Order: sequence, then C-alpha cells, then structure tokens
Amino acid sequence: MSNTSSDTAAVETLEWKVRIPKKRIKDKAWMDLKKRVIDTGLCSHCSACAFVCPVQGIISLPDRGIDFPDWEERCIDCEGCLRVCHRWEYTPLSDLGEYIELIAAKSKRFKGQDGAMVTEFMASALEMGIIDRAIFVGRDEEWRPKIYHIRSVEQLRDTRISGTKYSYASVLPELKEAIRVTKKGIGVVGTPCIVTGLRKIQKEFKIFKDKVKLVVGLFCMENFYYDQLRAYLEKKGVDMRKLVKMDITRGKFIATMPDSEISFPVKEMDEIVPHGCERCTDFTDVLADVSVGSVGSKVGYSTVVVRTEIGKEILDYIREKRYAEFSNVIPDVIDKLIKLKKKRIKNIPGEYLTVAYKKDTEK
Amino acid sequence: MIKIKTPKLKTLESIKLHLDALFTGAKEAIKPGTITIEYPRERRKLPDNFRGYILFSPERCKSCWQCSFVCPANAIKMELASNNRYYPSIDYAKCIFCHFCIDTCPVTALKPTKIHDVVYKDLEEMYTPTELMVKPPKIVREEEVTVEYVMDGDIILKKSKELDELFPEIEPHVEIKEHSVCIDPESCIACGICEHSCPVEAITRETIGQERHLRIDIEKCYGCGICVRSCPMHVLKLVRIREEKA
Repeated sequence: MSNTSSDTAAVETLEWKVRIPKKRIKDKAWMDLKKRVIDTGLCSHCSACAFVCPVQGIISLPDRGIDFPDWEERCIDCEGCLRVCHRWEYTPLSDLGEYIELIAAKSKRFKGQDGAMVTEFMASALEMGIIDRAIFVGRDEEWRPKIYHIRSVEQLRDTRISGTKYSYASVLPELKEAIRVTKKGIGVVGTPCIVTGLRKIQKEFKIFKDKVKLVVGLFCMENFYYDQLRAYLEKKGVDMRKLVKMDITRGKFIATMPDSEISFPVKEMDEIVPHGCERCTDFTDVLADVSVGSVGSKVGYSTVVVRTEIGKEILDYIREKRYAEFSNVIPDVIDKLIKLKKKRIKNIPGEYLTVAYKKDTEK
Repeated sequence: MIKIKTPKLKTLESIKLHLDALFTGAKEAIKPGTITIEYPRERRKLPDNFRGYILFSPERCKSCWQCSFVCPANAIKMELASNNRYYPSIDYAKCIFCHFCIDTCPVTALKPTKIHDVVYKDLEEMYTPTELMVKPPKIVREEEVTVEYVMDGDIILKKSKELDELFPEIEPHVEIKEHSVCIDPESCIACGICEHSCPVEAITRETIGQERHLRIDIEKCYGCGICVRSCPMHVLKLVRIREEKA
C-alpha cells in the first residue's frame, strides 16, 4: 500500500524499503567497517562514512585516520557507512577512463598553480547558473586545509583557494550542510577518493544525485596527513608560514618559498604516504565530470579531461567566452603515471576486490 | 528668551478667581474626583485579551516547537522532559509579552492570563521552567473592589465589588491535523532514528533479509513532527490529513 498522490509531483509514501549491505562480521556496522577497511589500511579517507553517519559519531580530521571513538554506545548499527564506503567492496579504477575531450588549457581570468582550470570550470558553472555553490578546499596561513563555500566568481580570486595542499580535507561532510541551502546545485572539487566516495553516495542516496551537478576531479598520486606532512617538511627546512607553493614534478617534491626553494626526491616521502593511497590505482579521477591535472601539458597549462555532457557544456562555454587559451596534451607522460599508479593493485589483497572487478580482469 | 508677565487683574476679577479656587477646594474635600487607582487595594478591570503571564497545558502540547520559533525575543526554550518530549519554558527576563506564542500554538496548549504583577528576587528566578508554567504563581489578592475607567465627557472611575477573573476562558483553536510521510524514500538510510524518536510508536522498522521495511501508521501518528526534525537525511515531512474520499 502506498499513498502516492497523483496531483503532486513529489512522492509521499507511508511505506518504503531500503536495501542494506550484507555484513561480514557479527557486530555493529562500524566494527565491520573498521576491521575490514580501516585496520587493514585500505581506507582512503574520503570521509563518506563520516558524511553519512546519522549520529555524527564518525570523525574525519585532517591530521589522522577516520575514527569513531565511542562507537560502542553511539553506533546505532544503521549500516549507512557500509553502504557508502567504496572500499568495503573494492573495485579499483585505473587508466584514463572514458572521455569526450582531452585538451590542455590555461585560464585567462585566474592565476593558479598551473592553468587554474579547476577554478575556471567552477567559475564558469557559477556564471552559467548550473550551480550556485561550490565546495573548495582552501588553506589557512600554515597550509592547513580548510573548506570554503564559494558562492560568487569574485570569491574565487582568493589565492588561498588555489594551489595543491597535499593534505586530506573533509569535503564530503561539508556537503550535507551545502545540500540543504542550495537551490540550483552544488559543485565539488576532489581527489579520486573523494570523487569515488561521492559517486557511491550519489548511487545510494537520490538527493545527492539530484543536487550535486558538477564534480571536478584532480589528478592524484598520493595525499598526506597534514601533521605528518608538516613535520616532514619542517625537518627538511621548510617554513609553512612562508611557503608559496608545493608541487611534485619529475619525481621531485618542490617547496617554493619567497626567498628559497627546497626540493628532494618524492621517493623519500614513502614513509609518510598513507596506506590508503598505496592501495589506490586511480590517477586521473575516472568518475569525475571533468578531471584536471598538471601532468601532460606544458608549464603554465593544465591538462583537462572532459568526461560527461555537463563538462563538455562548460568547456564549450569557456571556449565561446574566450576565458582560456588552449594547447595540446602530451599523452605519453600521463600514460606513464597511470601505469605507475596501476602497479599498486598488488597492494590490495584479493579478498577485498569485488566479484565484478575479478571477472573484468580475467577476460 | 520669553518672559511671562504677571497678568494685571482688576480687583473684581481677582476676587472672582479666588472664590472659584475656594469652591473647587471645597468640592474636592467633600467628593474627590481623583482617577488614581489605589493598587493593590484596588485593581483595574482588564480586558479578556490582556497579554499577561502565560500558562501551559502539557497534555495538549504536541511538541511542535512553533512557539519557540516564533518568539521574537528568544525567550522560549524547548526543554527535554522525562517522557522524552520537548516542552516550552519561558524566560520572563526576555519575554516582551507579545503573545505570539499563544497565537501560533496550533493546539491551544498555551493560555493567556491577566496576571501582570509577579515578583522575582533576581534575573535567574525569572526563568520559568515548564513545571512552573502549568500552574499560576502564588497570588495574594488584597483588593476589595475592581475599578474601571468610564469615559463620559470626563474620565470617571467606576468601582464595583465584583473581583476580576484573572483566568479568562479562551476559545480553543481549530486543530490542524497532520501526519508524517516520507518524501524521498530513495535517500533514506533506514537508520531508525525516526522510529526511536516517535513518542507513540507510529513508525516501525523491520529488517527482512537484506531489506529494511519502514512504515508510518497514520492511525497512531498525531503529527508532532519530532521524526521530521530528527531525520538526518530530511526525507520526512508533515502533511495535512486529506479529506476522506467519497
């Protein structure tokens, strides 16, 4: 029996069903997630579980792993976290993925680390009225990640928003607040783990499918916990307060300050690479609407991978308004990094891979 | 600067004015014409819609929070009672006696009174928790007469022996019947917070295999809206009960 009214478009029901995942261990859902994903170092710190947790018990801080300190009392065993975790049943993504257009571009309006195309895409989407709010990860004076809600093109001129931070940020929990106030839609910027987590949320909960209109993904090799990164860089002689830019190019980590530059091979940083990143194979953010990265284009340009219709629509708008300069992509360099990251598949224990993924690879 | 000069009166006029003054004095001495009310020995008769002290009937309240939302002075705080329901409490240090809360209450759980003279020792005491709102404060009535102003060319005090009723009868509002529905079942976590929050167990959740079945019983639901506010995904909504279809 359902009480769906015919005169209104909105569903009004008194009886409904919700599918829940099958637990692996007989305990509360959080323990299942912790034992299977967090304790095994599989967790990508995408914060999807913290986002969905109805009792707001799961906490995601930029300086340590996901935790639920008082789960024994507070966890209500709803299995929401299991539903949204993209690594509880892991389908590793890799390669360049499907795309409509692959191009290098440089924004004329904004200045960023490279071509400032992430900012440009969001600004254009705001201008076009596709979204009315964009969630960006900015930073404070000491490069600690901080979430910014952008509502106008002007706000995007703040230099603290652009630039790579190489630190985790809880983008997804912020989304829950944004969804409530948005009228047109929301734009999200994120690393492959955030985007994959978001797509899982969108699959499970319809409202996010309707309200998140644009997802701009970033090319990503790895990310760090802020405190660990800061301690490491300070040991190398970097002053976080003076830092202007962080970048990884040609296997070297380069920290730029106004008066000096410190660089060292990125391999040395292996000790602080979180386990979640060691088990990630997605370099180009396969599930995003648009992926942007510095790899594969000349200095000052960003590589842009347009994957969906909405991304194409915005790119056409940028072209029409002449907001950006365009150039060619060097696919070999991207391929090299895709292959390098794909090798990490060996770090994922077989039992965690989904049946679908195993079938795909057997072919 | 303006200087007011003493009017120069003739002897005859001066005598007339003096006699007038003496006459008025004599009249006041015999029959006083004062309009001052000698409170508390006298009390002024107040209209039935006078905005005074507010009383609360918990058995009518359905914890809809409307009174606390509408309060322009932020004087109403919803407090968790022992039966897991939220009831209003009023801070009279903040209250501006607009009675918007009484007007908003859909079930007439708040009632106006004519009490306007409550004594408090300090500001803290002015905070009135729900328990104290149920009964009126201790009243000491010293008055013997009720006075009323009557306009008859001049203001006249009309005194009567009948004491004013402090608790006027008010007509209850027409109750708006509502119940809860799910407007977006595809965004439901099935966490069961609504089930636990419901004071009358109108929402049930059952796990059958890998599915959770949720059901709202509109026979039991009386539209308090607690589940609507507690739902983390905001998929519940209150709707008015439709007219029975013929």
